[in-house]
Amino acid sequence: MKPWLAWLLAICAAAPAAASEAWFDRVERALTFSACEDRLRARLTGVLSLEGYAVDTPPPGLVFADGERLFNPRLMLLLQGQWGGRVTGFVQARLDRGFDPGDGPLELRLDEYALLFIPWADRKINVQVGQFATVVGTWVARHDSWDNPFVNAPLPYENLTGINDSAAPATPHPLLEIEPDERYEYNPVIWGPSYASGAAVSGRWGRWEAAAEVKNAGLSSRPESWSVHRRNFSRPAFGARVGFRPDLRWNVGVSAAESAYFLTAAGPTLPAGRSWRDYRETVFGADAGFAWRHLQIWAEVFRARFEVPVFGAVRTTAGYVETKYRFSPQVYGAWRWNRQTFSALALPGLGRRPWGADRNRIDTAVGYRFGPHVELKFQVSAERAAGEPAGTAWHAASQLNVRF
Amino acid sequence: MLRLFRLLLLPLLVALGGRAAAAEAEIRGRIALPKPPPAPVKQQRYEVVTSGGKVALSPALAVVYLEGEFPPGPPPAPARMIQKDQTFLPALLPVQAGTRVEFPNLDEIYHNIFSFSPAKRFDLGRYRPEDRPIPSQVFDRPGVVTLRCDIHVHMRAIVLVLATPYFTVTDEAGNFRLNGLPPGNYTLKAWIDSTETRAKPVALAAGSRLEVDLP
Repeated sequence: MKPWLAWLLAICAAAPAAASEAWFDRVERALTFSACEDRLRARLTGVLSLEGYAVDTPPPGLVFADGERLFNPRLMLLLQGQWGGRVTGFVQARLDRGFDPGDGPLELRLDEYALLFIPWADRKINVQVGQFATVVGTWVARHDSWDNPFVNAPLPYENLTGINDSAAPATPHPLLEIEPDERYEYNPVIWGPSYASGAAVSGRWGRWEAAAEVKNAGLSSRPESWSVHRRNFSRPAFGARVGFRPDLRWNVGVSAAESAYFLTAAGPTLPAGRSWRDYRETVFGADAGFAWRHLQIWAEVFRARFEVPVFGAVRTTAGYVETKYRFSPQVYGAWRWNRQTFSALALPGLGRRPWGADRNRIDTAVGYRFGPHVELKFQVSAERAAGEPAGTAWHAASQLNVRF
Repeated sequence: MLRLFRLLLLPLLVALGGRAAAAEAEIRGRIALPKPPPAPVKQQRYEVVTSGGKVALSPALAVVYLEGEFPPGPPPAPARMIQKDQTFLPALLPVQAGTRVEFPNLDEIYHNIFSFSPAKRFDLGRYRPEDRPIPSQVFDRPGVVTLRCDIHVHMRAIVLVLATPYFTVTDEAGNFRLNGLPPGNYTLKAWIDSTETRAKPVALAAGSRLEVDLP
């Protein structure tokens, strides 16, 4: 079946379902479990997402497809449990064509799981252990397809840099130019929500909030590194965020993270006597958010420093400003400006030149909710990178979400 | 003279008032309530820390109301549904059509109330406890309005908009008492949930007191 036909059929199937709130209520009741006089409670929820992409090549960010069209179905299942008022947990599994949108075969993965404990009765502190999203930044809170006004992530969370965590560059070329066929070998500043394994402590004291984490892999690490079975804690990664709410409308914060970014497999490509543990990624971030009535605005900026064998430290700054406005219960519009710049690198014979192409991207999205359980989004992105002979690249994406 | 008039008028007014009160009928009874569904599980995957943390139990309740033709009365008084500890209180609010309902946010966090129900479609957005005027909506069309919070998925409430000024909510055992009813022939209804409403015809004589159960 043609992808566009499947997508169209899915919309036709979803429209009547949207009208049947009672059907979703029955599903919710069927997927809710309670025992021990209601002390033990569990609920299975999920989102069925059907994504379509029409992109200029090479595709943007963490989209890994050969062609200019991509159909990407995804089923996300989330099991949440609660024991009394102080112990909760969740497990998230996904069935899709890869953690990032791609044209691979369907696969079922366990992406996220954690046990959360509130140690003291004043409920000011949470302890969380498992494999879960980073505490750094604020985009993570809206990265699920239902909560994200867009189809994709902001630039700091998906734009590939010249950093390759599986091999140190022997010449400047791999650092300066990303080969289209080898895009998956490279890393962004933060790989999506960064579901690495570890523990986190978070808390809120009046207008202040803070969170800190120890993980097995750093922010730029790829999904294959996040499981404790694939990478242990011999060189832990650290991250933290401190936030301040002067008022319920405003939320500002700063973040920092430090880790070793090479995979252990990169060892043979490193200079003699050096280990993968010696090369660090250091990230500092600042964020601000405003929300009142039907308007929401978010902004984040990250300054990342990677220690690269032979070539020394390279730096990049990536950030975005994002806004969403709900025109009615059913219609919203969203707009985002993303920018990433790269520091200059002194190279023998080549002089000083940026180690990546400075990039601007504007994302515009509109969403329509058929009801509390079904929504449809369209997004158009215009992207321009310094030195790109092709000029502005245009990408379009759409996403149908059915939440249950 | 005026004093004498007052002395004569007062007992007359009391007597008339007493007769009017005696003419009002009352219905008492019991509704067999279904077993309550399990309490919701709170989504707190990416919250820094839980706020309030009150476990939201939702015992089954029914709304009992009298349906029929009534003479026009005064406009209904405003009603209120608060947001406290990530819960709507009350979770079930019956109102007469035309009632303005205020939605104060008493939590230290945001909520975003919205409804997709055909009887009332609205989105209040996010607002602070101190924001004035308190966001409100007029519910002018009879029907079931399901309220949700866009931020906290487990939050759910119902505004039941009725075309009658005579209604009450049962207690958790299903007991109810409707008083101040005008004489006449009506239908007594019990709204159990969005799929079930029980009904029984009733004939109310002036000053009568009926016992009606809806099993």
